[in-house]
Amino acid sequence: MSVKEVDLKQDPACTTGLSNYLWSDHPDENKWADCVHCGMCLESCPTYEITGQEQHSPRGRVHLIKSVAEGKLAVNEQFMDPVFACLDCRACTTACPADVDVGGLIEEARGQIRQAMPLTGWKGTVSKVVLKGLFPHQNRLNSVGSLLRFYQKSGMQKVVRKTKLINIMPQHLVDMEAIMPEVKEPVRKKYKNENVIKAKGDTKAEVSFLTGCVMDVMFSDINEATINVLTRNGNDVTIPKNQTCCGALHVHAGDRETGRKLAKQNIEAFKDSDKIIVNAAGCGCMLKEYGELFREVDTEWHEKAEEFAAKVEDISKYLHDTGYEKPKAELNTRITYHDACHLAHGQGVRQEPRDLLLNIPGVEMVHMPNSDRCCGSAGIYNITNPEMASEVLENKMQNVPEDVEMISMGNPGCMLQMAMGVQKQGRNQKVVHTVQLLDWAYQKEDGKKEGH
Amino acid sequence: MAVKGIKSKDKHIINLANIIGDARSILYHTEDLIAYDCDGFTLHKHLPKAVVFPKNTQEVANLVKYCSENQLPFLARGAGTGLSGGAIPLNGEVIISLVKMKRLLSVDLENRRAVVEPGFVNLKLTNSIADKGYYYAPDPSSQYCCTIGGNVAENAGGAHCLKYGVTTNHILGLEVVMPNGEIVEIGTNGIPDAPGYDLLGLLTGSEGTLGIVTKITVRILKNPEAKQTVLAYFDRVEDGSQAVSDIISAGIVPAALEMMDKVAIEGVEAAAFPVGHPRDIEAVLLIEVDGIAAGLDEQINHILEVCKNRNVREVRAAKDEAERGRWWANRKTGFGAMGAISPDYLVQDGVIPRSKLPEVLNNINKISEEYGLRIANIFHAGDGNLHPLVLFDARKPGESDRALAAGSACLQVCADVGGTITGEHGVGIEKREEMRFVFSDEEINAQTDIREVFNPHNLLNAGKLFPMPGRCVEIKRDLKEKEAAIS
Repeated sequence: MSVKEVDLKQDPACTTGLSNYLWSDHPDENKWADCVHCGMCLESCPTYEITGQEQHSPRGRVHLIKSVAEGKLAVNEQFMDPVFACLDCRACTTACPADVDVGGLIEEARGQIRQAMPLTGWKGTVSKVVLKGLFPHQNRLNSVGSLLRFYQKSGMQKVVRKTKLINIMPQHLVDMEAIMPEVKEPVRKKYKNENVIKAKGDTKAEVSFLTGCVMDVMFSDINEATINVLTRNGNDVTIPKNQTCCGALHVHAGDRETGRKLAKQNIEAFKDSDKIIVNAAGCGCMLKEYGELFREVDTEWHEKAEEFAAKVEDISKYLHDTGYEKPKAELNTRITYHDACHLAHGQGVRQEPRDLLLNIPGVEMVHMPNSDRCCGSAGIYNITNPEMASEVLENKMQNVPEDVEMISMGNPGCMLQMAMGVQKQGRNQKVVHTVQLLDWAYQKEDGKKEGH
Repeated sequence: MAVKGIKSKDKHIINLANIIGDARSILYHTEDLIAYDCDGFTLHKHLPKAVVFPKNTQEVANLVKYCSENQLPFLARGAGTGLSGGAIPLNGEVIISLVKMKRLLSVDLENRRAVVEPGFVNLKLTNSIADKGYYYAPDPSSQYCCTIGGNVAENAGGAHCLKYGVTTNHILGLEVVMPNGEIVEIGTNGIPDAPGYDLLGLLTGSEGTLGIVTKITVRILKNPEAKQTVLAYFDRVEDGSQAVSDIISAGIVPAALEMMDKVAIEGVEAAAFPVGHPRDIEAVLLIEVDGIAAGLDEQINHILEVCKNRNVREVRAAKDEAERGRWWANRKTGFGAMGAISPDYLVQDGVIPRSKLPEVLNNINKISEEYGLRIANIFHAGDGNLHPLVLFDARKPGESDRALAAGSACLQVCADVGGTITGEHGVGIEKREEMRFVFSDEEINAQTDIREVFNPHNLLNAGKLFPMPGRCVEIKRDLKEKEAAIS
């Protein structure tokens, strides 16, 4: 017998043996029970790559979360730092031989931290105003969208940039302003009087479309493209009226209560749908994980959430699996593909979007090394942790081939972040959503206009 | 000039921070240190005093010198994936983490060597030279994340060591910071088999007790022209073991010859990289041959024939590189995969003569029954290197102790049939006492005498590798008293 009893008890002296998680919905013991501390996750983690420090690695974070449950650590600032520095990119879950759900544990731990230490100062204000006051309210979002449209169209943007008025903002916000996409009319507004957007030709299936909150304001052209490719391939599309923000950003930030509220509203809004199509990887992943939110707190809703989750599908996978018409027009462009974390690691969708792209005539795909490495967008991580996000982006851009015209992906957050990377490096590359390319090929085929 | 941002009044923390000149390169809060209280061996936990992240050899030397002069125990750590507890700060050490020293310094294809810093990850070396047709041979299962510095300390092996040898066969030169802070180079110019004592051999596998490696010259190899991989399922372990012996005695030298038993198969199939092994077989063999393409088919046919003679249920060659990759991912993540069927595991690392395989497996089964714990077996069957994985649940009172005892009993079985207690994972904390299964007191003393030449005050990674005889206890107590006096 090689180890004596006393040796085994050499844990830190502050052990109380009682969990320091004081609220319900605490980190799930069964999730960390699978972690055997082997370390296979280390190299997959962008924050470990940058810091080299194990409290900023997946297994380190799991170890910390477990230590709080064992009463060895308290929920305090020092614990909060590694837990909130996680990008929640899920790369570790892909790397983990035992499928440990690190992302789930992180979100649950954040829930505890936010209850123990509510946000104060400017972060608290941002959280209240933006996360609670804006995202869940489509009309307010639309107003912001109109303001942005006014900002861009009225010439104010030019004035602000020219007069250097913009310099009063922190650098990371300046960087973001620079890559803000052109704001157009949201599809929820455009189709508000149509119960069903009918398929072109025979109807093969009926699907419901989650437009996303910010997505529909900032990227309504991608939503438009999504509707186009769906209807073109025989799908009747409905946009349920009462749908709302998916809640991913709230859950990432530890506000699980708001997450549950939004989840309930969406579950209700889509209760008559058989298939729910999403074009934002982050939203899709959240919808598929609604069950997690009710795991401990509400059995009835837990069941409903699981039922709902089973109907959710990313647009690329849906098209790939149900069959779609391959475009005949040539796009003649060199592209590369970036795996959004919440598509590749979160939903296991990797090959489907690539196949969609490769099936467009004239599209030449250039391999991106480590294509499933996080770009640093990670919801609003690039706003809350600008320094780390910018380092993650820098590492990412080193792998993005220079000799391509477009970078394709399936998540709006990544699109903004990657556009920032392109801008920072002075490159001339267009950042596009996978369905946009497909839509352009169809449009070219139909002779409506030249590809892009 | 004192470093800003240090929130500690401990003079050693302040001084260590000053040496590396950056408040972000030192950890000293409990919440941060707890991530360093163990490595891949989780049965022992102890908090370090601090973790420091030097960026170059001189900083390592300065840190070591400071620790040495102030009688602070210290140790080196890489990715912390070791399985025997070699990087656990048993004595509240200052951990010198080498992960920031992670550059590939040079590649010399003509002379087939590369120079890396210790924190460089094993697989990254192969990835960096693959496009030129070269690779680095030692391939521990943790190669995705373990560091070459750690590989040197533990003399790491891997699936392909059957044909190509373990780490020590691939080390051509080392730069080492000695426990007094002196920087020395061993094996200059990377010329193998230099005259004089084989210090490279002594340092490699010394488990971080003789010095801290800061630069490593390794041998790199040309990729074999071709590879073929075969999977064979057996209904009886005896048949599988016998097939292993037959393959070797037929004169075939496979690049790898791996075996997993029924419990192990249950684990890997329940985890992240399943390949669809049948659940009702008792053993699966993964056999790989490589070399000049022309001869491989013949070897493969020979292997298929041997397996058929041993009642194989199904045997087939990988149809393409993708399938081969899946088979290896399934095997190489085998240890971590145990998490899918058990909350904790303890992996042992015995070595036995190949001919004793059926007998030893039988005895391990008996141990499993006796201790009431499941034991999975994943092993490098070709070189007789067994990895019994004792599955347990640390939350259940007494189960950790039972797991340790069962693991120890497995090693006793290996020693009894003329084998030994570790093939590639090192002794660390885990197998200290089991050293007595294979060495007499005199033999152990002879080895600690060698350690004293390098590490006279035993400040560097104390309490590892050797059992704790009287005098070691005294040294440790001495250390603690000094530590108490200083702080």
